Amino acid sequence: MATSLDKGPARADVLQSLTGLLLVLFIWGHMFFESSILLGKDAMYWVSKMFEGEPVFGKPYPLLVSGVGVIIFTLIAVHAILAMRKFPGSYRQYQQFNSHMSDMRHPDTTLWYVQVVTGFAMFFLASAHLVVVILQPDNIGPYASSDRIWSGHFWILYALLLVSVHLHAGIGAYRLAMKWAPIPAASSKVTRRRFKLAMWCIIAFFLCLGTASLVTYMKIGKQHAPHAGERYIPTHKQAIQESE
Amino acid sequence: MQIIHTDVLVIGGGLAGQRAAIGAKRRGHEVIVLSLVPAKRSHSAAAQGGMQASLGNCLGGAGDNEDIHFADTVRGSDWGADQEVVRMFAHTAPKAIRELAAWGVPWNRVAKGEREITVDAAKKTICEPDAAHGLITSRNFGGTEKWRACYVSDGTGHAMLYTMSNQAIAANIPVHERMEAIALIHADGRCHGAIVRNLMTGELLAYVASATCIATGGFGRIYRVSTNAIINEGMGAAIALETGVATLGNMEAIQFHPTGIFPAGILVTEGCRGDGGLLLDGKQHRFMPDYEPEKKELASRDVVSRRMEEHITAGQGAKSRFGEHLWLDIRLLGADHINNNLREVKEICQYFLGVDPVRELIPVRPAQHYSMGGVRTDASGQSPTLQGLFAAGEAACWDMHGFNRLGGNSVAETVVAGMIVGEAMADYCESEAGALNLSSALVDEFGRRERQRLADITDGGGRESAFELTRLMQETMTAQVGIFRDQGRLEQAVATLCELQQRSRNIGLRSNAPGANPELVAAYRLQRMLKLAQCVAYGALLRTESRGAHYRADFPRRDDLNWMRRTLASWPEQDAELPVLDYEALDIMRMELPPGWRGYGARDYIEHPDTSARQQQIDTVLSELADADRHARQEALMPFRHLLPEHLRGNNQRLGDES
Amino acid sequence: MNQIPVHQAGRTLRIQVLRHNPRDPASVPQLQTFELEEADSMTLFIALNEIRERQDPSLQFDFVCRAGICGSCGMIINGRPGLACRTLTRDLPDNIVLAPLPAFELIGDLSVNTGKWMRGMSERLETWVHTQGLEQLDVDAIEEAMEPALAEQIYELERCIECGCCVAACGTARMREDFVGAVGLNQITRFRLDPRDERTDAEFYELVGDESGVFGCMTLLGCEDMCPKDLPLATQIAFLRRRMAAAV
Repeated sequence: MATSLDKGPARADVLQSLTGLLLVLFIWGHMFFESSILLGKDAMYWVSKMFEGEPVFGKPYPLLVSGVGVIIFTLIAVHAILAMRKFPGSYRQYQQFNSHMSDMRHPDTTLWYVQVVTGFAMFFLASAHLVVVILQPDNIGPYASSDRIWSGHFWILYALLLVSVHLHAGIGAYRLAMKWAPIPAASSKVTRRRFKLAMWCIIAFFLCLGTASLVTYMKIGKQHAPHAGERYIPTHKQAIQESE
Repeated sequence: MQIIHTDVLVIGGGLAGQRAAIGAKRRGHEVIVLSLVPAKRSHSAAAQGGMQASLGNCLGGAGDNEDIHFADTVRGSDWGADQEVVRMFAHTAPKAIRELAAWGVPWNRVAKGEREITVDAAKKTICEPDAAHGLITSRNFGGTEKWRACYVSDGTGHAMLYTMSNQAIAANIPVHERMEAIALIHADGRCHGAIVRNLMTGELLAYVASATCIATGGFGRIYRVSTNAIINEGMGAAIALETGVATLGNMEAIQFHPTGIFPAGILVTEGCRGDGGLLLDGKQHRFMPDYEPEKKELASRDVVSRRMEEHITAGQGAKSRFGEHLWLDIRLLGADHINNNLREVKEICQYFLGVDPVRELIPVRPAQHYSMGGVRTDASGQSPTLQGLFAAGEAACWDMHGFNRLGGNSVAETVVAGMIVGEAMADYCESEAGALNLSSALVDEFGRRERQRLADITDGGGRESAFELTRLMQETMTAQVGIFRDQGRLEQAVATLCELQQRSRNIGLRSNAPGANPELVAAYRLQRMLKLAQCVAYGALLRTESRGAHYRADFPRRDDLNWMRRTLASWPEQDAELPVLDYEALDIMRMELPPGWRGYGARDYIEHPDTSARQQQIDTVLSELADADRHARQEALMPFRHLLPEHLRGNNQRLGDES
Repeated sequence: MNQIPVHQAGRTLRIQVLRHNPRDPASVPQLQTFELEEADSMTLFIALNEIRERQDPSLQFDFVCRAGICGSCGMIINGRPGLACRTLTRDLPDNIVLAPLPAFELIGDLSVNTGKWMRGMSERLETWVHTQGLEQLDVDAIEEAMEPALAEQIYELERCIECGCCVAACGTARMREDFVGAVGLNQITRFRLDPRDERTDAEFYELVGDESGVFGCMTLLGCEDMCPKDLPLATQIAFLRRRMAAAV
């Protein structure tokens, strides 16, 4: 070819999908780690310290958490900017899409709208969460988190974020699969049905998991409310303290 | 009135029209195609089963060549065809298919090795040779000695039309869509283009051209039950007829396809029977071998349709609340074959009948399918009486089908005729005769006349309904000018059509909405369709013999003695009740294949004395050429290559040729 | 002979048609209601013709083959695009709302100019086999061989009838007029698959490697779900996306 190709559109599409994929993997991982509270405060404590690098460096560096927060924040920003290219650009386009969606009653089209709405919601919810994490990276732990959730009333934000992020991530993962996966045409209908089923199962699973953890944090936060602000001391250190 | 100038005007955007357009364009002429609908929606797309061309690649086609294709076609035509034209056609068909293959049609290909086929209700394993692997394959069709119908699953016409249209787009040929030619501009035996109505805005335009080609397909919609698309109203043939100068050939030769689904009349392909499907009666008995022991379900269409109706009349039909019908059974072909090679058939059965042909029988009954007749042309595709007017495809009576067309020969004709007529139009444009010289006054006069005719309808204030009269015409044709014809019914039909013609002058419109106005369209088309219908009915009444698809119960024999003649209809007086019918002799003494028994159908016919004389001549010539190759022997009997454009004269190569 | 019967099935259909004649300055888009006795095996083709013949002769709509193969009669049937000719009224509720396909220029009532759109798409995407020397083709010679399975695969994609249902079903196309739609993307995959077409991926990228092409697709899959011919559009677009992303 004489003229060089405009690589922009291909790269933008790949980057949007890639950032989406990383964020999906991140949030699913995140869910397992945060739900360590279900295994007990010590488990959660251990996880939080692990992320602060204690097992490697011998002492915790909360700034590591801030660093991850910044990376995630960047991914979200890139993902959002790329995704916004696809949003309706004018009120007329928005109207067109809306009437199209309500007339067609087509599930996958409606799911895209769900992603737009949840994406928009996360613009605020996830940002708020991330700002807290980045600015107060040491404020993560069995009591610290619980206090923030209960005494700091963050449970409202987390409940909304939980629903948004899992709808968005689950649907996004399904859409990513349909967008890129090499599925043989002959079995594409069956495969798509399976992907769709998997999507709903994953969403349901993470919503249950997330709700259970959130409720647990709230319970701990409520019990701990009189001592809000005090940090959790893990059982093995409690033993040491008591013996001293 | 806006006037658009072009070298070549092609009316009709189907396979024939677009191929002719591409040919003329390649020769450097400006071409415009007019089409009632977007070109890719033309009725060519409905050809399902295959295109006949004697490639002889697959086992069933082995040994096939132009000679056999020629003979099959002439027998199919019941000796009504122009044999030189049939030769031109059979010779060019392999070239047409190879050209389309290079242009992108995904023809089904021969796969080497063993495969299972269904022949005569039994499974059989055949082994395709290695040498043919990947070459274009073909399936069996009715009335042919070899497997010759090349196909793309059962969407052959669709694939061909899309490839053709895409090539026309590549060649930058403008297609003016939703444009209807309503009159040909002509004077002193020379055609200069057409007056055209825009079907979106209702406005009239003039297209002025050196060469005008009618490629508007058939006129099946003069019948109530037809496999034809609803745009097949024969307007191209009708405006040629209305010149009073051009003639229509063999209009009474109407084909009825054996397998229209019952009751909607939608076609299911002959490929169903070609691939091994059977016809069953009300008792699920396979009845065709009782009538046609040689070819059974695969006799020519006229014969099979007649046998089916005969069997129903004998009380053997299956009864349903819609009336009587027969069954098509393709269950024995198996799910795989149906899903791969007959998928359009499967879809049609599912959507229109709620039937799964893998497990269930398909209700069928013959339905009007094809018009062998049309604008009479010479071998180059030009009207012998109106210079500068050409015709190609079903709209033409080039006359390779005579009184019955073989399945798969029509899509083949569209492309072959397009290849030949495109060149002929280019030649004409380049000749002295083709120089454009007409006065703008002539164009204005035709424009005024057409505007007046439309105004007579819109402002006439009559009380007749165009829709109602159309229905009456269609019912008359289906009931009285159908598969079985006789004097009584035909006289009645002619009288009814005369009466409808009168009433059609008294149409009143209920709507005068600006734009296309579908009611006005129905009204002016009806007036023209009635003329075509009258040519069919009146021609059928006067033809007192049975030949091919034209069957007279009162004259059941083919009569070579009196009817070795082609009917030519013209309509010189616009207000006349009936067309003028002339006859053009078919000269047996020039035939390569003199009349005889077709190999199926009735054995009984009235012989012409020339037949045996010509046969003797042929025997003598051939005995002197015993050592010559088949091309030389053919050339000695009836030379035809001089009629073809030079680049189409070469011999077709085949597998196993000695090179 | 084959006769079309008229047999009443006893249900009265309420057919609402979104009517508008852009040629008529006085016309404003509005729903007009027609009542019609349902007959056995009645399709929307039969119903609409009956309405035009008996109730309102000015009603505009397009039918050609009336057998589901030509793609003329795409319209919105109770909110979703489909081919009217093969839609049986017995599969629809008593109340039927018909509207023209959106995303195409309106000619009048249910008639839209899909032909113009499709021709534009074909010209833009150059949907024909690009081969050198087609004009000097030796038509006497035996054709080039092709693998039988490949020919069938190409036909699978060639079955598209350009009815426009996929465009009308596409949220992207509804928002962006220059989007080529599944119909265009499918045709690119059809020609890319065809060994007779000599174009490279870089050349295809030039045609569809942007936001109005394959990278504009948001994978809403309306095309796949509404395609009357059940073409494997989702997998084809995914395939093209991978190829085009790899082409740069």
